[in-house]
Amino acid sequence: MTAPTVRPGAATPDHRDHGPREAGLTSGTPTIVTVASGGGRTYPVRLETGTFLRPRVMRRPGPGLRVVLAAVRASLCAGDDLRLHVHVGPGAHLDLVDPNGTVAYNARGGRAAWRADITLAEGARMTWTEPSFIVSEGADVLRETTVSLAAGARLAWRETLVLGRTGERGGALRSATRVTHEGRELLAEDLDLRDAELRELPGVLGGGRVIGQVAALGSVPDGPAGPHRLDLAGPGVLWRALARRTYESDRVLDEAWRAAVR
Amino acid sequence: MADEDDPGAAARGSGTGALGALLLADARLPTGGHAHSATLEGAVAAGLAAEQVPAYIRARLRTVARTEAAAAVLALRAGRGRPVDYGPVQAALAARTPSAPLRAASASLGRGLTRLARALCPGHPAVAGLATATAATPGLRPLRPVVLGALGAALGLTEAQTARAVLYDDAQTVTAAALKLHPGDPLATVRWVVDAADDIEAAVRAAVAVAAPADLPARSAPLIDQWAAEHAQSTRRLFIA
Repeated sequence: MTAPTVRPGAATPDHRDHGPREAGLTSGTPTIVTVASGGGRTYPVRLETGTFLRPRVMRRPGPGLRVVLAAVRASLCAGDDLRLHVHVGPGAHLDLVDPNGTVAYNARGGRAAWRADITLAEGARMTWTEPSFIVSEGADVLRETTVSLAAGARLAWRETLVLGRTGERGGALRSATRVTHEGRELLAEDLDLRDAELRELPGVLGGGRVIGQVAALGSVPDGPAGPHRLDLAGPGVLWRALARRTYESDRVLDEAWRAAVR
Repeated sequence: MADEDDPGAAARGSGTGALGALLLADARLPTGGHAHSATLEGAVAAGLAAEQVPAYIRARLRTVARTEAAAAVLALRAGRGRPVDYGPVQAALAARTPSAPLRAASASLGRGLTRLARALCPGHPAVAGLATATAATPGLRPLRPVVLGALGAALGLTEAQTARAVLYDDAQTVTAAALKLHPGDPLATVRWVVDAADDIEAAVRAAVAVAAPADLPARSAPLIDQWAAEHAQSTRRLFIA
């Protein structure tokens, strides 16, 4: 276990120009989940524990393989650079569950990163649930999610970003999402919530501090219509709920999630 | 990159650049812009007060308008290239516009501008090449910033002029709609636009610094997307979007 690195003199909260590979971060070992399909079921090919997360297979009936991510150590602290690499082979079906969620702690001038790189081969299916990604007061975290879908691949993904623990205004978060479908860009979005004043402007988050999202990527399920539904230019739907509390966004998104995983 | 004061810029264009910059920013241009509120109508329906309008302008200039300005600059460059190919910028912009009603609004404004471009400069390669945008996103007509960039290339605008026209138009669209939705002193709303100058110029600099469609800014404004959806489903409205 390496101690988190806090770079002296990096105490400015404004990192507007930092690129994807910044100084001040200690690269950890990535957590790797690779699954494949064979004999009518999905089996693990590579499950490797990284610096922060340990993947474990959870037995359950059905053709899909459920993999649960368990925390190896407290994260995200200043300097932490969590990496998760997931590959779902042709026709395979993975249910990835992160039961504990993530808390980005007060970084006291340092920063942290959380990066997930997900690739789905032809006809692969994946569901992915993250209960909460909490950005505490004083945290400064970059969250990068890259998803690459081959023909016929489908991902149902549920995430909840929370700015601050109860009573806090919350730290700085930049959440960058890049999704490609058959090599073409399907969704590119930077939720740049580093500047508390900017994110509270009317039109950005207003008074919301919870951003709940359900994404159906690679398909266009029916699911609820209404103002929370975003039909992407390509095959994909994003349902997004802004709220003060997690249970409020969950109330809006539960039905969308049922449609996305159907 | 800001080639506005470059004396060679006029030589590269047809001499209509400076005039074109004014034309493209003029609300009297017969392209249908008056029917749009830049989602202010949806915002007001959701409770946005008159005194919050300047903050709403600022929110747009820091997020969605930045993406549009940079897309217009990329389209301007594409329109100057040979062969002309708007496909990459149109596709990148579509991937950064998750809201279907906002894509539809942008395509409808793009349609009005395309009509103007075809009437003004029918034989210009930058205008003739607009079909490459639709080819990249089947079912989606050329989006407003793409056509603005094409017109900019045909009229000889600089990158900074093109970006500023997009940003100014965004702010003016909001203030003009505000006068209908929250009737007040028209002279006071001019102040909102002038006060946005620093944000506009910062966005102009950011737009001309974008090198390629993959670097197109993607800063989203989740509430604007939600208001646009609510507005599209509402039956009582003054503006298309």
